[in-house]
Amino acid sequence: MSALLCAASLALVGTASAHHSTAMFEWGKEVSLNGTIKEYQWTQPHTFLWVVVEKGNGTTQEWGLEGMSPSWLGRRGWSRHSFKAGDKVSVVYYPLKDHRPGGFYVRVKGSDGKLMEALPQRGG
Amino acid sequence: MISTLVFRSGLAAVGATALLASGCGSQAAQPQPASAAPAHPASENAYAGLAKLPDWSGVWDPAFLRPPPGQARPAPPKLTPPYAAQYSKYLAENRKTPGLNFVSDQASCVPPGLPQSMTEPYPIEFLFTPGRVTILIETDHLIRRIYTDGRALSEDADPTYQGTSVGHWEGDTLVVETASIVDTTSPMQGINGHSDKFHVTERIRLVQPDVLAITTTRVDPTVFAEPYTTTSYYRRHRDWQIMEYVCEQNNHDALDAHGKPAFSLSHKPE
Repeated sequence: MSALLCAASLALVGTASAHHSTAMFEWGKEVSLNGTIKEYQWTQPHTFLWVVVEKGNGTTQEWGLEGMSPSWLGRRGWSRHSFKAGDKVSVVYYPLKDHRPGGFYVRVKGSDGKLMEALPQRGG
Repeated sequence: MISTLVFRSGLAAVGATALLASGCGSQAAQPQPASAAPAHPASENAYAGLAKLPDWSGVWDPAFLRPPPGQARPAPPKLTPPYAAQYSKYLAENRKTPGLNFVSDQASCVPPGLPQSMTEPYPIEFLFTPGRVTILIETDHLIRRIYTDGRALSEDADPTYQGTSVGHWEGDTLVVETASIVDTTSPMQGINGHSDKFHVTERIRLVQPDVLAITTTRVDPTVFAEPYTTTSYYRRHRDWQIMEYVCEQNNHDALDAHGKPAFSLSHKPE
């Protein structure tokens, strides 16, 4: 590293990226769904949101949405109590490429208006 | 500019100059020669001596550095042909597909090896005890033991994921040498595997009161045509704690039977 880089004021941006491939998701393509939480798993290596979605024809489908880890979310004000079974939520996620009912959640909005931004924002 | 930083940060002028000089543009350290037997570690003097070490307390979170305008990008690696091919394929995939496209057995909860383990997206912590620096890595709950008691680095230790390390202080810079890393690990982002000659040198030091830099030089004639050096930065958080991380707790991303990225929708209630 040059002396110029070390001497200048270091502008730190963002956090490190994922540590394994995200190839199974359409990463960056935001889609949204509404449903009721069946279980919010506050686990390593990723939190997991299981959401029951009502399909138009009167049946329901369970979706599995992986998210950032408790390590990451926990340091940004979220906890295992942030969402619970029965909560009605609106979830923005990156869908699975193979069209199964799952994806990676980007943000979660509760019916009380609380909003979890669940991915690193560019520049922040 | 340097003197302005020194006074703002409150560091002693001489110490800071030495720190910046050793941290910026320095050469990789040579491997440790054989040395005398280590001193008794647990004496009162040894513990008192720890107070002279730089303050690396708190928890250090990897952070990206936005280079100043006009700053040249770090030099790309110069790889031997088979590894160059692997790396080109990885770069092409990243250009084609958004997100991260590095496929490794880390997805199946096999821990990262050194030096990849030092740039995971979760924090690290340094503990100082006599004759040793211990690095706790939150990702996969990993531990590195760096012996600073003067012992020689064994080049024939049992291979482990984090390798076998010795270190010494050059002013306020910790210089670490590591060998004997399991040869299926990633020597750098985008490449899987290396030889048993893989050797890592790290220079660890503060570059600002709450910013740590680690300059990492990788040597392995099987992989690298020349030593490959990168620098990573970490931001201090005094109020954070390293969390437990058991990867197998609820992993849905294990590679499939063909070693390809996969995603399980099997719901096991917690």
